[in-house]
Amino acid sequence: MSLVRTENLGKSFGDLEVLRDINLTVEPGEVIVIIGASGAGKSTFLRSLNTLETITSGKIYIDDELFCAAENGQVIEMMDKQKHKALLLEMGMVFQRFNLFPHLTVKENVMVAPINVKKVDKAAAEAKALDLLERVGLADKADVYPSRLSGGQQQRVAIARALAMEPKLMLFDEPTSALDPELVGEVLNVMKDLASQGMTMICVTHEMGFAREVADRVVFMADGIIMEEGTPEELFSNPKTEKAKQFLQSVL
Amino acid sequence: MNSFDRILLWLPQLLSGAKLTIIITILSVTIGLLLSVFLALGKMSKITVINKVCSAYIFFFRGTPLLMQIYFIYFGLPQFNPKLTIQSAFVAAMIAYTLNTAAYLAENIRAGIQSIDKGQYEASKALGMTYAQTMRLIIIPQTIRRLIPPVGNEFIMVLKDVSLVAIIGLSDLTKVTRAISSSSATALVYIPAMIIYLIITAFFSFVFNKMEKKYSVYE
Repeated sequence: MSLVRTENLGKSFGDLEVLRDINLTVEPGEVIVIIGASGAGKSTFLRSLNTLETITSGKIYIDDELFCAAENGQVIEMMDKQKHKALLLEMGMVFQRFNLFPHLTVKENVMVAPINVKKVDKAAAEAKALDLLERVGLADKADVYPSRLSGGQQQRVAIARALAMEPKLMLFDEPTSALDPELVGEVLNVMKDLASQGMTMICVTHEMGFAREVADRVVFMADGIIMEEGTPEELFSNPKTEKAKQFLQSVL
Repeated sequence: MNSFDRILLWLPQLLSGAKLTIIITILSVTIGLLLSVFLALGKMSKITVINKVCSAYIFFFRGTPLLMQIYFIYFGLPQFNPKLTIQSAFVAAMIAYTLNTAAYLAENIRAGIQSIDKGQYEASKALGMTYAQTMRLIIIPQTIRRLIPPVGNEFIMVLKDVSLVAIIGLSDLTKVTRAISSSSATALVYIPAMIIYLIITAFFSFVFNKMEKKYSVYE
């Protein structure tokens, strides 16, 4: 049973086609890393999985159930609302720019969605938040505001915040691109931990070392399509397409 | 009688005028603020009817003179329908100032809400929050901090605009001052009156500054 499957997924902004015929299947426990040059459509693909972008063609299946289908720019089928919402909650997302809530403390950032969306009681949500902050190494920062944290710390809080909703799948949208080089490692370490604990992950990243070490599969995107996919070994040592060769040469 | 004694003699009247000025200002800005949140959300609504109604409201109240609105509510409405007669000049003034200030505040609130980074909406959505939850828990609390300076500004504008209530027979600080000035044939009374205005303004500026500091803890 696949966790996520897309069938000929496409996305256009007006006349601009940014994604075309994306077919990708993600099995539970898999770590997929999507690489490619800027403008290849990597982030748009990730964002269309959790409906931050509305797809304009193709289908998305989650847990083998049709989540959303679109044709010629129109959504033609959508799962019923309650179920749709429940499935959306199975996906956690981490953004390039963290998007922490600046008016809430670190702990409150992690608690706000469980309390208000899942109706978890406050004490339980707090215990869980502290536990998660411990896991990302920030237990001592529970009561400070995000503005007091470094970028790497903020991103770790953002990961804890997403985990608090107990997702089955984590989407990482260039989680280290906005960080100073010396802070990248601490975020990647948290992601590696997560992967080793069996979390299903789709990561858009430029960190080739991370891809090589952690990914079960690497997907190379260019011009809105999946050009190539395979194990890190296959893709990094033996790229088949000219585009992938060029890209890897420029980043490695 | 020297000047100082004369001023002391006028003081009770001036202060009762100041009291009316402050009451109308505080009540109308407070109620107007509540109303303006709905107007601002309405003006940003994707539902055409709500959007149009709120935009028209804001356009009307910002586009016509406050003085004319006060006249119209107190003297004009009863002529269209006697049921719309407002007996109390105070109530009529309250309605006029509240409706007027709500239109101005709504534009400030809309600007404040729209200045919040769209990443905040995306993060909220990704966490499963509804639009209403996103507004209540994430967007509006952040907007409040940015709104304190313009609301403080509007408050002080209203405080001085309340001097218009004289035209429907209410005795605010300006009206009382003018009455004293003509009955005792002296302009001296304007000096304590202006000082009272300045004290009130200084006090509320101080309060708004304190609030701004309090809401800035996270920055």
